[in-house]
Amino acid sequence: MNNPFHSVGQNALRLGLAEKVRGEARYTSDLKRPGLLYGKILRSPHPHARISAIDVSAAQNAPGVHAVLTHLDVPENSIDADLKVLDPVVRFVGDEVAVVAAENPPAAEDALRLIRVEYDILPAVYDAAQALADDAPSVHAEGNLVDGEKLVVSRGDVAAGFAAAARIFTGTFSTQVHGPVGMETRSALAEWDGDRLTVWKTSRSLHTHDRQTLARVLGVPLERVRVICTNMGGGFGNKDEGRLAVLVALLARKAGRPVRLDYGRAEEFLGGRNRQSTRNRIRIGIAEDGAPQAIELTTVMNAGAYVSSGRNVTRRVGQGALYLYTCPHARFEGATVYTNRPAGGSFRGLGAPLGHFALEVLVDQIAESLQVDPLEYRLRFHVPLEGQPGQRVTPPDQMLPDEPVEGGVPFSSNGLRDCLLAGAERIGWREKRRPNGTMDGPRRRGLGLAMGIYKGGVGREAQAEVSLNPTGRVEVRVGIVDVGQGSTTVLAQIAAEVLQVPLDRVDMIMADTALTPPGHITAGSTTTFSSGSAVKLAAQNARNKLSERAAAMMDVTDVVLEEGQFLARNRARPGLSVLQVMEGLPGSSVGRAELKAGSSDYIINSFAAHFVEVEVEMDTGRLRILRYVAAHDSGRIINPRLAENQVSGAVLQFLGIALREELYLDERSGVTLNPSFLEHKSTSIVDFPPVEVIFPAGPDPIGPFGAKALGEPPVVPVLGAVANAVANASGVWLYEAPFTPRRVLQAIHEQGSARS
Amino acid sequence: MTEQHKPVEKTALSLSVNGRQQSIQVEPRTTLLEMLREQLDLTGAKPACERGECGACTVLLDERPVHACHLLAVQVARRNIVTVEGLAERPGFQQIVDAFVARDGGQCGYCTPGFAVAAYACIRDNPGADAQHIRWALVGHICRCNAYDSIVAGVLEALKRVP
Repeated sequence: MNNPFHSVGQNALRLGLAEKVRGEARYTSDLKRPGLLYGKILRSPHPHARISAIDVSAAQNAPGVHAVLTHLDVPENSIDADLKVLDPVVRFVGDEVAVVAAENPPAAEDALRLIRVEYDILPAVYDAAQALADDAPSVHAEGNLVDGEKLVVSRGDVAAGFAAAARIFTGTFSTQVHGPVGMETRSALAEWDGDRLTVWKTSRSLHTHDRQTLARVLGVPLERVRVICTNMGGGFGNKDEGRLAVLVALLARKAGRPVRLDYGRAEEFLGGRNRQSTRNRIRIGIAEDGAPQAIELTTVMNAGAYVSSGRNVTRRVGQGALYLYTCPHARFEGATVYTNRPAGGSFRGLGAPLGHFALEVLVDQIAESLQVDPLEYRLRFHVPLEGQPGQRVTPPDQMLPDEPVEGGVPFSSNGLRDCLLAGAERIGWREKRRPNGTMDGPRRRGLGLAMGIYKGGVGREAQAEVSLNPTGRVEVRVGIVDVGQGSTTVLAQIAAEVLQVPLDRVDMIMADTALTPPGHITAGSTTTFSSGSAVKLAAQNARNKLSERAAAMMDVTDVVLEEGQFLARNRARPGLSVLQVMEGLPGSSVGRAELKAGSSDYIINSFAAHFVEVEVEMDTGRLRILRYVAAHDSGRIINPRLAENQVSGAVLQFLGIALREELYLDERSGVTLNPSFLEHKSTSIVDFPPVEVIFPAGPDPIGPFGAKALGEPPVVPVLGAVANAVANASGVWLYEAPFTPRRVLQAIHEQGSARS
Repeated sequence: MTEQHKPVEKTALSLSVNGRQQSIQVEPRTTLLEMLREQLDLTGAKPACERGECGACTVLLDERPVHACHLLAVQVARRNIVTVEGLAERPGFQQIVDAFVARDGGQCGYCTPGFAVAAYACIRDNPGADAQHIRWALVGHICRCNAYDSIVAGVLEALKRVP
C-alpha cells in the first residue's frame, strides 16, 4: 500500500518493550508501599450455600493479621446488580467468603485456615437448559434467566423467509468454557491517605468502572479516588469486574495500612471471569440458486453465577448470523442463564467466535450440498459494501451501531472480497482444494476457510489532551489502558503524524485517573478507532495553536505545515520547524478533544477471512495445523509490525482454544477440575506453524487515518475455519468445540461409516 | 489444621544474588521467587503459575535457567542466583534487549523477562541455533499473547547481534 504518511503506517518499535525485556516495567503485583500488607481470599468450597455462621476471632488474633472482613463487615451497596461486596449466599465453588490482610502472604494464608464457617447447603444447577426449568434451584432470587427475558433482535420476517425458502439447513453447535488466562493474574493494591484513596489495579477500565465503583460503594467522593494501572500483563477483554478493588480498599481502611492482594493461578481460573459455554441452534433457508433467504440463530449461554459483561457476550453471538451474508430476513435470540458455575465474563471476541462457528460450518454444509466450492459460495453471497436489504431503522441523525441488525445502510468500507481472494491466493486454494471427504488413508489433509465480521470500534466516549511544551516534547494524555496490545505506540504514532514530529518526541501518559482525562474501557477493539480519533483531533487542535504561533513568529498571516516545517503560505520566507516553534512557546500549549467516533451514514465494521490446512489422524482423532493464513480488513494499519504480531498472536491463542482448552467441572461437587496451565493447556511455542498475516484491504474513509478495529477480529473465524478444514480432510463435521481428539474420534465413528 | 497459630521460625540464609552476597531471614516455606520479589524487590521474575508450568519466573541458578517459583529459598543457600536485573548488567544482554525490541518479541511483556533469561542461556549454549532449536529451548515458556513467532524472530536476531 502506498503510504503518504511519515509515522502512520510505519513499523515503529513498541514503546516500553525494552523496559519489559529488562524486567524493569512494574505491573500491579510488583508494586510496594511502605507498611504494605498482603491480602488473601477465603473461597467457598460449596457450589451453592448460605452462610449461617462465621467466626473470625481466631484469625483476627493470629500473629501478623491486621484485618479480616466478611459479609457482616462490608457496605450494603452492591458492586453490580447481582454482585454484593460480600454475600451471605455463595454461588459457585470459589466464590468469595472472607478476606484477610497480614504481614506476609503465608501469614494471610494461615489466617484463612482459622476462619470457621458454617454453611446451609443449597441445591445447585450447572446446566443452562436445566437452570431454565421451572423447578430448578434459583441461583439469584430474580430467577435464572438474566433480566427475566431473552434478547431478540431481527430484520425482516424470518417466518416468511423460511416459508419461501427452497431448502432449509439446520445445525446445533456447542462450545465449552475456557479461561482468558492472562499471564499476569488479577492484583490490586489500595492505600488511603486520610479520606483519599489510591488503588493500583489490573484494570482495563479505571475511569469508567473501577473509580466509579469504588466511589459509589465506599461512599467516597469521586475526586478523592485515584485508580492507576502501571502495566497490564494481558487484558484480552477480561479483568474488568469491581469486587477485588473494593475488597482491597476496605481491608486497607480497616488495617490502616496499604494492602496488596494478588490472585494465584487457580484463583484466576475460578474467581476471574471465563468464557461462557453456549449451545447454538442455527437455521438457514436458501433459494434455488443458493442465496440465503432467512437466517436464524438461537443461543443459550451459561453465564455462571454472576453475569458480569455476559449480556454483551450473548449479543455478540448473533453478529455473524445477522449480518455476514446478504439475507432479507434474519433473527437472533439469546438467553443468558445463571448457573452455579464460576462466573463468566468477557474475553476477546465475546460471543462472536461461537456464533461464527455455527454459521460458517452450516454455510460449508450448504455449499457442499449444492456442490459449490465454499469460497465461490462466499464470494457470491457475502454481505457487500452496500450492506443488507431492508429499511434503515436508526433515525437519520443518529450514529449507526457497529453491531448492526437493520438493512438499508451501507458499510464505510468492506474488504471481505479482498480478504477472500488474497487469502485463497496465498494458501493455494484453487490449486489444492478437493471436495470434502475425498481423501483417504490414516492421515488426511484438507483446506478450510471461514469469514468473520466484527465491531469496527465505534461507540465509546473518548477524550484526549495533547500538550506541546517549550522543551520540545509532546505529551499525550489518554485515560485508557494499554492492555498489552500496543495502543501506547499506535496512539503516539497518530499524534506524531498530526504534529509532524519524530515519534521519540512524544510522551504517552495513560491509565491514571489523576493524570488523564476520562477514558473508555479498553474493550470492543475500540482503542485505535475511538481514542485514536480523539488523539488525532486533540493533536490537530494543538497544531492549530502552534500554527498561530508560527505565523506570529514569522510575521505572516497564514502558514502551512509540510514535512515538519511551517511555511508561509506564499513561501515568501524561510520556514520554521515544528520543534523551533514549540521551543518558542511561552508555556505549554494544550489541544483537547472529546468525541464519540462513528458515523450516522455508514456502519463501520472490520472483516476477515481465514484459511487453514489441517491433517486429521483418523485412528486417533488428533489434528495438526499445517498452514494458517489470516487475511484482515482493519482499514489502514497504523503499525504493520505490531498488527501482524497481534493477529498472529490472536490466531495462535485461539487455535489452542479450538483444539483443547476447556475447564472441566465435576457436577457432583461443583469443583473445577483443571485450574492450571498444565491441564488447561494454552498454546505453546512448538504447537503451530507461523501464522501468515495479510492486510489486503485499503483505508476506511472514516477511521483515524483510515484505521478500523483489529484486536478481536482475528479470533472470530478460527473455530469455523478449522472445523471446515477437518470436514474437507475427513468428511466429518464437528459440532462441539474444543476439537479434542476424543470429540474428533467420536465424530469419525458416528459419521465415518455413513461417508465411506 | 491447627486452631493454634504458632509463628513460623525463620532461617538465616546466605546466597549470592546478581553477584552480591545476601544474608536473609526466610521462613522455610518461602519460595525463591517470593524472596526475590518481596524481600529483595527484584520483580523482573514474575509469578504466573506458582508451580513450574509457565517459565515467567525464570532465573539463573549457577548459570542454568530454573523456575524460581518451584524452588524454596532454603534450597539455594550458598548458591549463585542471577535474575533478569542481574543479566542487564552483563555484556551481551543489551543485544538481546535490542533484538527483542527490533522484532517486537513481546506484547503485554509479562512473560518477556522469563523469555529473555531463557534466550540468554539458549544463545550462550547454542550459538548456532536455528528457529527449531530456539522453539524447543523456549518450550517451557508460555506467552498468552502468543507473540511466539516474533519471539523466535527476536532470538534469531539476537544470535546475529551477540558477539
